[in-house]
Amino acid sequence: MKSFLIRLLPFATLFLLLLLSACQPEGTRPKMRIGYMNCNSEGETLKRFRPLTRYLSQQLGVDFEVVPVDTQDFPERFAAGEFEFTHTNSLVYLILHEENQVQLLATEKRGRYGTHTSGSIISRKGSGIKTLDDLKDKRMIFGPQLAPSGFLAQYDIMLRAGIDPEIDIAYYAIPSGSFKHEKVVYGVYFGQFDVGAAPSLDLELMVGEGRIQADDFNIIAESPIIPYCTFGARKDLDPQLVEKFRLALVNLTKGDRVTFDGENLKVLASAWVDGYETLADSDYDQLRVMARRANMPPYQEF
Amino acid sequence: MVGRDRFDILTFSCLLGCVLILGLLLLGGQESKSSVAAIDKALEQQIAYQARVNFLQNLYRPVEDLRLKGQASAALLKLDELARKYPQEAHGEILRGEILLERDAVKQAIDHFVRAVRLNGDYVDQANPLTRRNEIQHLVDTQLPLFTRRARSNPQSQPLQKTLTGLYYLQSRLAGGCE
Repeated sequence: MKSFLIRLLPFATLFLLLLLSACQPEGTRPKMRIGYMNCNSEGETLKRFRPLTRYLSQQLGVDFEVVPVDTQDFPERFAAGEFEFTHTNSLVYLILHEENQVQLLATEKRGRYGTHTSGSIISRKGSGIKTLDDLKDKRMIFGPQLAPSGFLAQYDIMLRAGIDPEIDIAYYAIPSGSFKHEKVVYGVYFGQFDVGAAPSLDLELMVGEGRIQADDFNIIAESPIIPYCTFGARKDLDPQLVEKFRLALVNLTKGDRVTFDGENLKVLASAWVDGYETLADSDYDQLRVMARRANMPPYQEF
Repeated sequence: MVGRDRFDILTFSCLLGCVLILGLLLLGGQESKSSVAAIDKALEQQIAYQARVNFLQNLYRPVEDLRLKGQASAALLKLDELARKYPQEAHGEILRGEILLERDAVKQAIDHFVRAVRLNGDYVDQANPLTRRNEIQHLVDTQLPLFTRRARSNPQSQPLQKTLTGLYYLQSRLAGGCE
């Protein structure tokens, strides 16, 4: 038995060496960048997506770098080649897909509609504003222009109801700085605006956290459901790497963990995500229809 | 020892007869008592169940009212609030499934129907006042072929497999037990 073990030792050593050489340490692996669209703020983006990015690096053997990007700058910076993979809202994905043939990888799941979300038009309960007809000549607050569920969805609802937001309401504003969607909700809650364009997900989360109550608002209208945030890849990347990236995302479970900054974190929970799923590009057609109707990018005509 | 005469035998027989009749009466009394108790218990259960049904209908009335007004989003938010207080209540899951189905969020709707039926089988019982058997049957009939096709063309997709598993579960609950 002892002699057998001694004879086995060189083979075992060789096997271990081969195994170790397969795991390249960080810093010696190929480098790539993932552009993450800032949803609320740069700080929040980094906090949410660094652990997920570390996990992806481990799974793919690539050193991924997190690049936080302002929504408005995203298409331009992507076109300039600043990152290989993208994480954006669904409207920015449409722009990147139309203009740069970005490949659809996986759609994020969060909230009651899973891979989808919607936009709502809200007023404060007791304001007397209950229907779309009541919106005329009112003060309205929207989310940022490229927000599918904070601007486009509501803009489209109004157009379909025969209300031109540029003409038929007293005026509309977009909050400045970070956390715009919450500012919309609180802007209506505290009476600074008569009506607001709130993402249904933000309302859901704020009610869930007890920050507002369902009875505080009239929900005047809600849009059809549209896809939520989306991972994409540059068209000329190695297809095998892209597929590995996609599989790493869709196979993520709530129990998967990663060590980051000395902490052992749950990957999905730290990114505030319920999971990822691969949709078909045709699942984004509803959003395309809305963007065309509202004359918004990537279909804007002057 | 004096031999027993006819009178003794008659007396002894009467005594035995009385004891027997008394015993039978006692037994009969116990039986009727237990059947009364059983009726009482069934009644109590029925009253408790009716009270539960009424309670659920009152509790979720604001949600139903919002649904009737076509305010699905507000109804879902109301359900979120109620779910914080009654997290394991199957009725909330059923209502959520119905609203999500109306909103075309089919996969999520199936998840909630599955959760509801797992929590409370009354929803697939046709005789139950809370029944949603027809709705669930329709859901299975329409969605099972669609999701089977989608899962076959995309066998790697775990979410599709999960939805399909949910539909099979509902199908088996509709079919009932194997006896």
